[in-house]
Amino acid sequence: MATSVSYPTPGPGPAPVVATAGIQAPVQASLWSDAWRRLRRNRLALVSAVYLVLLVAVALIALVHTPYSYRDVGVARPYSGPSGANWFGADILGRDVLSRLMVGAQISLIVGVGTQVLVLAVGVPIGLLSGYYRGLFDTVVAFIINVFYGIPDLLVAMILLLLLGPSLNNIIIAIVATRWMDMARLVRGQTLALREREFIEAARSSGAKPAKILFGHILPNSLGPIIVQATFGVPAAILFEAFLSFLGIGVQPPTPSWGSMAADGLAAIRIAPHMVIFPSIALSLTLMAFNFLGDGLRDALDPRQKR
Amino acid sequence: MLTRGTLIYIGQRLVIIVFTVLVVSSIVFLGIHRLPGDALFNEHLHGTQYALILHHYGLDRPLWDQYTSFLSGLILHGNLGESLVNRGVPITPLVLREFTVSAEVGLFALVFTIGLGMTLGVVAAIRQNTWVDYVLTTTSVIGYSMPSFVIATFLLLVFAVWLDNLTQGTFYFQIGWTGRFGTIGEIWLPAFALGFPYASIVARLTRASMLEVIRQDYIRTARAKGLRETVIMVRHALRNALIPVITILGPLVIGIITGGVIIENIFGIPGLGKEFATSILNRDYNIVIGVFTAYAAMIGVANLGVDLAYVVIDPRIRY
Amino acid sequence: MATPILQVKDLHTEFLTDGGVVKAVDGVSFDLYPGESIGIVGESGSGKSITALSILRLVPDPGRVVSGQVLFHDQDLLQISGEEIREIRGRDIAMIFQDPQSSLNPVLRTGFQIDEAMLAHDKATKKEAHLRTIELLRRVRIPAPETRVKDFPHQLSGGMRQRAMIAMGLANAPSILIADEPTTALDVTVQAQILELLGDLNRDLGTAIVMITHNMGVVAGLCTRVLVMYAGEIVEQGPVEQIFENPQHPYTWSLLRSIPRVDALRHERLRSIEGLAPDLLHPPTGCRFHPRCPFRIEKCYTDEPRLQEVAPGQQAACWVTMERARKEMDADNLVDIRPGAGSGLHKGELTE
Repeated sequence: MATSVSYPTPGPGPAPVVATAGIQAPVQASLWSDAWRRLRRNRLALVSAVYLVLLVAVALIALVHTPYSYRDVGVARPYSGPSGANWFGADILGRDVLSRLMVGAQISLIVGVGTQVLVLAVGVPIGLLSGYYRGLFDTVVAFIINVFYGIPDLLVAMILLLLLGPSLNNIIIAIVATRWMDMARLVRGQTLALREREFIEAARSSGAKPAKILFGHILPNSLGPIIVQATFGVPAAILFEAFLSFLGIGVQPPTPSWGSMAADGLAAIRIAPHMVIFPSIALSLTLMAFNFLGDGLRDALDPRQKR
Repeated sequence: MLTRGTLIYIGQRLVIIVFTVLVVSSIVFLGIHRLPGDALFNEHLHGTQYALILHHYGLDRPLWDQYTSFLSGLILHGNLGESLVNRGVPITPLVLREFTVSAEVGLFALVFTIGLGMTLGVVAAIRQNTWVDYVLTTTSVIGYSMPSFVIATFLLLVFAVWLDNLTQGTFYFQIGWTGRFGTIGEIWLPAFALGFPYASIVARLTRASMLEVIRQDYIRTARAKGLRETVIMVRHALRNALIPVITILGPLVIGIITGGVIIENIFGIPGLGKEFATSILNRDYNIVIGVFTAYAAMIGVANLGVDLAYVVIDPRIRY
Repeated sequence: MATPILQVKDLHTEFLTDGGVVKAVDGVSFDLYPGESIGIVGESGSGKSITALSILRLVPDPGRVVSGQVLFHDQDLLQISGEEIREIRGRDIAMIFQDPQSSLNPVLRTGFQIDEAMLAHDKATKKEAHLRTIELLRRVRIPAPETRVKDFPHQLSGGMRQRAMIAMGLANAPSILIADEPTTALDVTVQAQILELLGDLNRDLGTAIVMITHNMGVVAGLCTRVLVMYAGEIVEQGPVEQIFENPQHPYTWSLLRSIPRVDALRHERLRSIEGLAPDLLHPPTGCRFHPRCPFRIEKCYTDEPRLQEVAPGQQAACWVTMERARKEMDADNLVDIRPGAGSGLHKGELTE
């Protein structure tokens, strides 16, 4: 344990706070347990997580039961406000807003999570292969990523839906088609950086197969940013779908989407503001919850945090 | 700053933009142009009437023919064709007119975004961990979490509904486009709704960036020189903090452009966004192609502008 | 000697961290005379940089100067207002820093940053400042200064950047220039040039220099007096030649011994100071150096020594001193200098 004070010493040395006899070194913790600990302390993230769990519960319940059927017309007087029978009021056709909100939750969650699952399935392998092998494949992929960087995803998605016809599946396809590049670019960047690291070289020289290197070494080390990106991708996708439905090109009636409900409600804003307020609140809270959670995850997984 | 190298760079980029626009335009054209179910088809015309209409639009010619005449018309004359829904309405003047409208709202939103966002970001950074900081940070997350139409709805509720009801019509804000520059309903509300989410993002980024910059050694040097704190913040810190913000300016402009589609629909603003949405619903393919081409051009120029802004801010970057 | 222009009296600077209070500077006192050049030497964490920063009240959060006085022309710098200390910074007392790459603002022209130093204190108009900057750059031996003023820091070499920083420091002809490890980030040959420049400036301009470094060689070349710091305290101070020839504190002695010599035999081991830098959160009891000192005695474990005169003009804080260590413990012939090796006292050592 020698400290040599030699001439000349390059640059400032490490901080002087060092464990001396009698003080125990902290228990070595893994990245994940560290992250979990930090996440638990983030109150906003926890509240958001609770909210999202409740949301999922509501969506699941809606599979078997809603106060009214979401398509039943005339269960209440059209435009009527919140009442005992209809907690959130009725819409333009006299349908129960609460029931439609519950089904709308299903739509949002399916789109949100579904798109990210597909984005991961498409973007991660492409990014890994592109970053690891380089060559022609990478050039093409990088080219595509850069070209699509400057293209407005909403407009392209609208055109795609024009081509494919609006439906829930097609919406998911359109969103994935315009958003997979971000994930691919992230993974590609991570792969490019990691493949130069010594432990990869060590693995290579000990004869590990590329698949093992990619999935056993590079991927696990990139998981942090990937998870954060996917977590932020969910509200982005939900928002995307809301925009599309708002414009009338998304989910078609009578299927309720929070976006289309808001659009209908906006038309009647003067006489029945509740029609636009409730879907708007639902959307805002859900998006906020995902964003706070994403923030919390990002801070928790940041290896530069010291605590 | 306006060196020979920069001018060459601008020239190169403009060429690339033109090329990209043509490519994009072609892709959309070839993809949509003969899609079944177009506006003409939906008019349910028959026989000779239908044949005449098709001939008028050149839709009875082979696809390749149509494509070449579209391209030549575009390159040589800037001609984007004729609307399928509104007979005889040339698209190019329409697009140009609507472009100015969209640009007006968009620029307002951009100035608002950058101005307000940066100011609040700096304030939050200087007052880190005080209540000011916490309020601003939380507000900003709420800001970019709310869809722009929710913010627009809220504004409409307040300004067009409640205020009106409360004051019995005294404070009535006209929503809709009258061509007069700067009335509240016309520009300010839409620009605010459009820009607010992005202002929140800019505020967050500026704050984070400022916090990093403030810890830098050159700030310590500036203090050791005896400079006033304000001078240090503005002249030394802010210019460096701007650099990461410029990075997101590209996607930000694109976001404002796409956000404009929604906002224009809500506020009834006759811009490119409203046109795009309407023509998609009406299946007026010619307009769809025309507007999309215009958008491609706008974005290309916007990205070029952002890259040039880089040069202005950071002297280490030269083209 | 005339009256000192700077008197630091019992300075205490602390850092409030999550783990507790770190006493970075724990009772430092010294005087600086006009035109003098002194060196403050110590390891990383010894408190030398913080001492300098404390003088100008530039200690970063979570640090605080908690007590003491810094007397400059009869003013206590620690008590005057924020506006007053701002005026003194850069004008009467200037400070330059270690890494000129990061210490200069990358988006502003170099000349402008030097102009700023003058403009901030209303010492000149813009035109005058600009001309004086060119003069200053010439003075610090930067070739073609007229073109260099327009350059950005990244366009200059490391040596030129540091010269520019020196020019910035001297812009207002301050009576004191504090240099915090100005040569550490530079190549060895450039180091020598910078030190030569500083020496010439000290002679020609009469600016007092406080040179902070971990490198005894730098001190030998430039300074007349030296303060040796360890764990936030001054453990020895005195004229440079005396200290080098006859160090009295075991730490100073170990430092000097550890400098590798060109004429040493090839197989000889490098001599290092055993042990790790002290934990400033929980400093050792008694003499802070005792866990690493080859010559410690019982008293060193319990009582903290104060600075005492050990030779004319030279003070050391030690119960034993090298004089006694030489006589009683055969210090000069010790091959290995593990803690307690000289005195045979191994109480409280960590077993590996």
